[in-house]
Amino acid sequence: MHEVFEHTADLGLRVEAPSLELLLAEAGAGLFEILAGDMHQIRCRDERTFDVPGTDPEWLLLDWTTELLAAFTVDRMLFREFAVSVHPAGLCGTARGEPYDPAIHTLAHEIKAVTQHELDVRRTATGWEATLIVDI
Amino acid sequence: MTDPDRSYCGPLERVDECCYRIPRSYKPGMRVDGLVFADERLLPHVRSDRAAEQVANVAFLPGIQAASLAMPDIHWGYGFCIGGVCATDPAAGGVVSPGGVGYDINCGVRLVRTSLALADVQPVIVQLVNQLMRDVPVGVGQGGRHVFAPAELRDLMRDGVDYLVRRGLATEDDRACTEAEGRLADARPELVSERALARGQDQCGTVGAGNHFIEVQVVDRVEDERAAAAFGLQHDQICVLIHSGSRGLGYQVCDDALRALRDAPTKYGIQLPDRQLVCAPVESPEGDHYLGAMRAAANYAFCNRQLLMWQVRKVFERVLGRPWEALGMHLLYDVAHNIAKLEEHDVDGTRTTVCVHRKGATRSFPAGHPDVPERYRATGQPVIIPGDMGRASWVLAGGPRALERSFGTTCHGAGRCLSRTAATRAARGRDIRAELEHGGVVARSRSRDGLAEEQPEAYKDVDMVVDVVHRAGLSTRVARLRPLGVIKG
Repeated sequence: MHEVFEHTADLGLRVEAPSLELLLAEAGAGLFEILAGDMHQIRCRDERTFDVPGTDPEWLLLDWTTELLAAFTVDRMLFREFAVSVHPAGLCGTARGEPYDPAIHTLAHEIKAVTQHELDVRRTATGWEATLIVDI
Repeated sequence: MTDPDRSYCGPLERVDECCYRIPRSYKPGMRVDGLVFADERLLPHVRSDRAAEQVANVAFLPGIQAASLAMPDIHWGYGFCIGGVCATDPAAGGVVSPGGVGYDINCGVRLVRTSLALADVQPVIVQLVNQLMRDVPVGVGQGGRHVFAPAELRDLMRDGVDYLVRRGLATEDDRACTEAEGRLADARPELVSERALARGQDQCGTVGAGNHFIEVQVVDRVEDERAAAAFGLQHDQICVLIHSGSRGLGYQVCDDALRALRDAPTKYGIQLPDRQLVCAPVESPEGDHYLGAMRAAANYAFCNRQLLMWQVRKVFERVLGRPWEALGMHLLYDVAHNIAKLEEHDVDGTRTTVCVHRKGATRSFPAGHPDVPERYRATGQPVIIPGDMGRASWVLAGGPRALERSFGTTCHGAGRCLSRTAATRAARGRDIRAELEHGGVVARSRSRDGLAEEQPEAYKDVDMVVDVVHRAGLSTRVARLRPLGVIKG
């Protein structure tokens, strides 16, 4: 699950999941919910894969969500479904969605970047939780 | 209720009626004091988030000179607070930090004068705002009319507004009325990544979203007749205020730098209280790389605002049926409020080249300063302070005490006092567009929540912020402008 929380000029995302893989996938969904608002408007017609190197869970979260954001800002891709597998040298992620079309999609926020501010990934008694803040 | 995890509970010692000190003794590792420009009325805002803690953290940076400073529109940012100012001495190991500039490199504002009076525009204000909304790209996902190939973008980033003069999209006068004449020297476009180029290729000449806007305004009060005359301003005159920055290209340059500098503090033995203050010595390959790319993005931002103004002029021509020159649509001035620059300042009586970081802070050079355009040199540079879309904005002049107190810097706006979610909550059940219209402001927004998040109540009272910088001598009041119409993302 994920929830959006407030930050003075921007928005934060709090994510919980039973595993690191599911946490990263859920963070992708939260990111695109901030960007697009209604996720139901995005159809899963296209698939992209992402290889993100690294071992530190915080940097993995930051770099994965940054790559997803770049797929929107550069290639105009909107994603709705996410799957992640973590391996010793990094992660392999899959995102499914479709190209942004102003005729059918509305967007809620322009995200400038995913920031390191208050970036946090930790294990909990029931799994994993993460916090990240995006610059609007 | 004050949340100790979300507010500042540390020391703020009164220096004078407009300035409070965070003493160096507050945290081991602070190299200088923190100084926050604010008065008693603004102190609760200063304490309401962790921005003052960030002022103290910036005081850890190697080579910082005089003090870690904050303007009265201070609020929580990334690493550095918004409204933060920090000057470092490269010769003393001084660092440059991308967090001291922010993601939106050279975000800034420009004010366009006109020869129109309120009575000329009032009857067509709805038509004018609707036409601006149609003709000027605004909002997330909106590409621009000007698409630049990578080679053209590199020329634009190297030469700034000069490039647009050559392309017939700017005049010599436009260039002369832009901070740094629209071009930071030593820009290194070749250091801007392919991803940044891709993000920027169709965004030069677009407003964007967030707090960016184009606003038609009227001068409703002149406070300094002499300076107003020098700036070409008078009561009842129509102006247009443009607020935007370096768009996706600048965000990516910052993101790339934060990634490239991850290991720099360890490499250079720099202890930081917050990893968002990541930095490198100015005189290091990493510092040099960031500054070169940052200057390229800054030049892109000057061009972005120039192309926005060019489109605004065309809209006025179309609606009012006269060429923009006949409408007197001349640029008053363009100022950056997210930037790092090498400038000469007096530090402890010695003329020193320092790297001045201004993050949500505006250069405010006083009368006589050689970097102020000659036409404004007798008054000080124009300083343009956007407020909110319901109340007011200000034109100030560079202040007599700015050089001695703040490395020639003043505030940049009103500063937020409500988060975006809190503002949206506060707008539930209300029609913000109708409320603004009732108050005499025609507002159009591309996004569902745009007007709610940016409603006037989300910002501090800009009059109060400007009052502090005026009394502190950082900049002086010239004219107050009231909004008539606004387009937002």
